Amino acid sequence: MILNLKRTSYLLSAIVLGGMLALSSCKEKADEEEVEPLDSNKTNIVNINGTLFSIPSPIQTAMLLKQVGAPYNKALLNGPGKIAGYSTEAKRALNLGAYGADLGYIILYQQTQEAIGYLGAVKKLSEDVGISGAFDAKLLDRFKQNMANKDSLLVFTSEAFRSSDAYLKNNDRGKVSALIIAGGWVESLYFTSEMFNGKVADNTKLLERIGEQKTTLDNLIKLLTPYYQEEGLTEFVDALLDLASEFDKIEVNYVFVKPTTDEANKITTINSTTEVKVAPELMKTIQEKVKNIRGLIIN
Amino acid sequence: MNKKLALIILSIVLSLSTKMSFAQCDTVANVCYKNITAKYISDGQQYRALLLKGENAEFNATLFGGTQYRMAACSGMTDGQLVFSIYDKQHNLLFTNTEHKNAPYWDFKVKNTIDCTIEAKLLNGNLESGCAVLLIGFKQ
Repeated sequence: MILNLKRTSYLLSAIVLGGMLALSSCKEKADEEEVEPLDSNKTNIVNINGTLFSIPSPIQTAMLLKQVGAPYNKALLNGPGKIAGYSTEAKRALNLGAYGADLGYIILYQQTQEAIGYLGAVKKLSEDVGISGAFDAKLLDRFKQNMANKDSLLVFTSEAFRSSDAYLKNNDRGKVSALIIAGGWVESLYFTSEMFNGKVADNTKLLERIGEQKTTLDNLIKLLTPYYQEEGLTEFVDALLDLASEFDKIEVNYVFVKPTTDEANKITTINSTTEVKVAPELMKTIQEKVKNIRGLIIN
Repeated sequence: MNKKLALIILSIVLSLSTKMSFAQCDTVANVCYKNITAKYISDGQQYRALLLKGENAEFNATLFGGTQYRMAACSGMTDGQLVFSIYDKQHNLLFTNTEHKNAPYWDFKVKNTIDCTIEAKLLNGNLESGCAVLLIGFKQ
């Protein structure tokens, strides 16, 4: 029932947005004989009803895995040899995000022998989706020269993705931008859910981090809703909606506590508390669904 | 014929105007990015909105516990042109740069994961319109 309501709500949004686009297109045709004043509000940013959505970086999740003592697990990654099979723009963009998350994971665990192969996959897919500028030979050189410095490698990789994101938004390619973000987010959620109940000292933190993705998942769906009816994306967004209906069962208790500010060091500490409760059975369902969604991306 | 010519000119003007707006965003973002120093890792995204005076841009974000964030918020070519405030999901004010001389960036130590909304608007009195850019960096 919740899923149906949620799906209906997002689908209505998709239809309304689609309708607005169609009307806009019709209006353009009707206005061919009229000259309209410039609309200074017109932008091409990823902006749904005046709100923008921030999706956390996959690198943050990889950092948590390392922090809780999860061992490096190569089997979690999507092999870079599979890129030839990704032939549509949507698949390429989703997998570009997924390989970016893999690359971040590899760098954090300092598996440098693997990093070049994944950087190659990222470079190839970025060329395929038309954003090769950020992943050029210069980046590859900087990468090779700083192989021993994981902090520098993380900064280079994140900066390249930020630069690509800016380029895509500049060129009215919000869909590709959203899909890259979605691919990275799903891949990092897959890492966390697969490592849960693995050889990890602090499973609770992983469980909490999975539960804490509840709002992010909703935001991600809103980001993808305008493209719901596009080829290859309906099944993917439906699967995310299905996952969101499970996330809705997670209990989140938030208590506001006044923040404290250190003016001299320009830093504010956010003291509010959030308690996340995920039932074991629910966690199993989430694990299974995340695995299936990831399968939709990489297979 | 005259109408066609007018349409062609208008489409060129519109196209140039959009390009110029984005070029403006790019320039602002490049200036702003200097505030995300090498100590912070970018979240890989660039949030921006073209704003008129009095308009608000709203950014929804989840900040993870155990992480230190740097948020840089800019508009125009000089610091302090953008007012930004952070609210929790109950709309309690967590931070506003108006209390800190419109600081162009600020750091946040997040103890527990929190869903928040970041609101940004142009500083009153100066710009009539402009590109608001928000950048987020993090470290553990």
